[in-house]
Amino acid sequence: MTALEFHDVRVRLGRGRHAAEVVRGVDLEVPSGTVAGLVGESGCGKSTLARAAVGLVPLASGRITPDRRRAVQLVFQDPYSSLDPRMSIGAAITEALPRSGRTAGEVARLLGLVGLEREHATRLPRHLSGGQRQRVALARALAARPEVVIADEITSSLDVSVQGMVLNLVREIQRELGLTLLFISHNLAVVRYVSDRVAVMSQGRVVEQGPVDAVMSDPQDPYTRTLLESIPRLRQ
Amino acid sequence: MRRLRSPLGVAAVVSLAFLLFAVVLGPVIWADDAVRTDTLALTQGASAAHPMGTDGLGRDVLARVMVAARPTIGLALLATGVAVAGGLLLGGLPAVLGRRAGRLVNGFIGLVVAFPGLLIALVLAVVLGTGGRSAALAIGLASVPAFARLTQTLAASVAGRDFVAAARVLGVGRVRMLVRHILPNIGEPLIVQATLGAGGALLAFAALSFLGLGVQAPDYDWGLLLNEGLNRVYLNPAAALAPGVAVVLAGLAFNVLGEFAAQVFGGRAAVTRPSGRSARPVPGDALTVTDLRVSYGDAAAVKGVSFTVAPGERVGLVGESGSGKSLTALAVSGLVEPPGVVSGSITAGETAMVFQDPMTSLNPALRVGTQLAEVARTHGRLARRAAWERAVTRLDDVHIAAAARVAAQYPHELSGGMRQRAMIAMGLMGGPRVIIADEPTTALDVTVQKQILDLLREVSSTTGAAILLISHDLAVVAQLCSRVLVMYAGVIVEDLTVERLLAGPAHPYTRALLASVPDMAADRSLPLATIPGRMPSPADPAAGCPFAPRCERADERCRNELPALEAGVRCWHPVDRPVASDAMRAGESGRDDLRVNDPRDNDPRVNGLRGNEVGS
Ligand SMILES: Nc1ncnc2c1ncn2[C@@H]1O[C@H](COP(=O)(O)OP(=O)(O)O)[C@@H](O)[C@H]1O
Ligand code: SF4
Ligand SMILES: [Mg+2]
Repeated sequence: MTALEFHDVRVRLGRGRHAAEVVRGVDLEVPSGTVAGLVGESGCGKSTLARAAVGLVPLASGRITPDRRRAVQLVFQDPYSSLDPRMSIGAAITEALPRSGRTAGEVARLLGLVGLEREHATRLPRHLSGGQRQRVALARALAARPEVVIADEITSSLDVSVQGMVLNLVREIQRELGLTLLFISHNLAVVRYVSDRVAVMSQGRVVEQGPVDAVMSDPQDPYTRTLLESIPRLRQ
Repeated sequence: MRRLRSPLGVAAVVSLAFLLFAVVLGPVIWADDAVRTDTLALTQGASAAHPMGTDGLGRDVLARVMVAARPTIGLALLATGVAVAGGLLLGGLPAVLGRRAGRLVNGFIGLVVAFPGLLIALVLAVVLGTGGRSAALAIGLASVPAFARLTQTLAASVAGRDFVAAARVLGVGRVRMLVRHILPNIGEPLIVQATLGAGGALLAFAALSFLGLGVQAPDYDWGLLLNEGLNRVYLNPAAALAPGVAVVLAGLAFNVLGEFAAQVFGGRAAVTRPSGRSARPVPGDALTVTDLRVSYGDAAAVKGVSFTVAPGERVGLVGESGSGKSLTALAVSGLVEPPGVVSGSITAGETAMVFQDPMTSLNPALRVGTQLAEVARTHGRLARRAAWERAVTRLDDVHIAAAARVAAQYPHELSGGMRQRAMIAMGLMGGPRVIIADEPTTALDVTVQKQILDLLREVSSTTGAAILLISHDLAVVAQLCSRVLVMYAGVIVEDLTVERLLAGPAHPYTRALLASVPDMAADRSLPLATIPGRMPSPADPAAGCPFAPRCERADERCRNELPALEAGVRCWHPVDRPVASDAMRAGESGRDDLRVNDPRDNDPRVNGLRGNEVGS
């Protein structure tokens, strides 16, 4: 596997007078085969960083590796918008497979990997629940044989009762395949649960990063501290 | 099939039958009559033998009109085909070309779309030469820009969706992207537009032929017949009337078909009125709901909900999506729209609503202060000046710094948290006794979320307003409320204090829900607890406890009889041992009294898919 590295990445969005530097010099490394969490308030640039890593938005400066096509795959937040409503599950996964490996058996294997049945291949997205769709989105990303997967708020639009299943699945698959995973979420408890390391982002910059336990128990940056203090707690 | 029985459906079927009949059978039935010249009956008026009279050569006008249906409609369809093909090609180009070339094509489309279509058609008809086919081509080409614009706009909106981004990340090429992902998703509006366009083409075509630029004698179409008929209109008005009526009827038929297609594709249901009158809230102290039911046809989404919120009390309503919590909130505010039917009784004091997205409830065109002041003017009949001052005071009450300045701003100039504050301030203008907040912080960051929850708490303690907070997030509810109602499949399954929620609820569903939320102390070496299966849909008429298919405690009785809500729990076998909150952790979820399945047990890879049981 490969590490995911951001070197002084800057991204500008918008044109002309509305142009704004949304990512302002991010240095971040996700060591090979590990999970790094990325937290921060909405609008701080997490999604933009993710889109830059898969080539959906151009870099203003800096470097991201790996920068080979298809080597980095992105799983989107909203499983209702990330699957083509007119394309069967099987066709969507087939499209993601390398040309040489486009077989029904391979589609079935991937469906099995994410806990779906072979029969799901013929269904359309509208026949699946939100959690099942998110599993399909994950299978499609894995079909491209990526070295790195970025998950951008993949449980944010799911019910808590479903969130747990998707999180368990992500953890299992990551370990099984030894994937390098960047896990983006605004939910600190979720990030803490899946990640080895965590980076805190604010206004386009990474303000703090380190091992999950260290950052969560002994935050250095004032913003991280505010973030931790604001979390509603269920168990005292 | 039901749609076919709506008035529009019937009209569409009749129109289609009319068009098909004329096109398919017209020439077969009337071909002979249309060419037989009757030298004894030249240019006659209507008679029994010739219902629409005869033309200058004594041929039957009605027969000629019926025979002309095929070439007229055929050429109109040809024109439409040209327009659609050209429009798709031109409008699809920007999606296939690079950014810069795409912008160039867009500019070109914008330019040509500005010219009047009929003018282009006339010029092209003259340039391409007279004759039916060149006229069809002229009309088709003239409508290309409009179709191209439509295609391009629709394609651009689809291109912004995540599935297109996902395909790009997978390296899907531009042509395949257009053909496999974009076109199939814009097909329906295009078909509607093409059908409507066919009606327009038919009229344009009749006009060209009428002007002598279309079909040439000895061939004929409706336009040419109209021309001939008008020349002799004083001798036989019917000869002009018949082709005219045919053009109008066919044009209408295409329009009706287009409207019908729009309705079918758009999922716009024919308006159905609810059979009974819906129950509406009546004024009262704080909030009392008794046996509330909300149904859509046969599906009962809320199935008999009763609860009371006392003045100043803060109650949370939690449940997963589809459990009926938002519908309950809407019913309480009298906002359920037909075809939803509400029954039961609701008494509520002056109510204010706070929604997830304040942008949908604030008018983007009005200053924040103006919108707030309007409430005071209509409600409290305050003068303009006094109303504005009240608005600024309320904005100040919700801790908006520089309230006077913010009052003069427009909603889009505020941040999400500020907008939510403004929304709460607006709710306060009417002096509410009840504030219903539906997922008010779901779109906000944790730091802002905390501020809004603190604000709601403060508002309820200073004004004595009751708060009903609807949320899917147990932690948010625990932070603000003192009491929690847990909804599942349209019923309240548990009504408990927050202390009890944290210490260990009695209902198996509440316990499972609580255990599936990872918190900051969750053991990371263990899988999270999950709830196998999924909630039954409102259309599912199962008799017993709705949680039975997913509950380990379920027995025969659970499956057959719905338990009543007694002592705050709707369960035949509630967990009555109070357990320490620590025991709720996922790690100990295998314990018998906790009713939370070991996640490994419901791993679908182990168990396989049981119908729709594994529903994550
Ligand atoms: N097309 C755009 N033009 C200008 N600004 C944009 C555009 N898209 C997003 N932004 C801004 O970029 C910032 C970062 O957005 P995003 O990366 O989505 O943040 P996050 O994922 O952390 O919520 C936000 O302030 C957003 O308003
Ligand atoms: S009534 Fe029976 S099935 Fe329903 S929650 Fe209680 S024990 Fe479970
Ligand atoms: Mg984002």
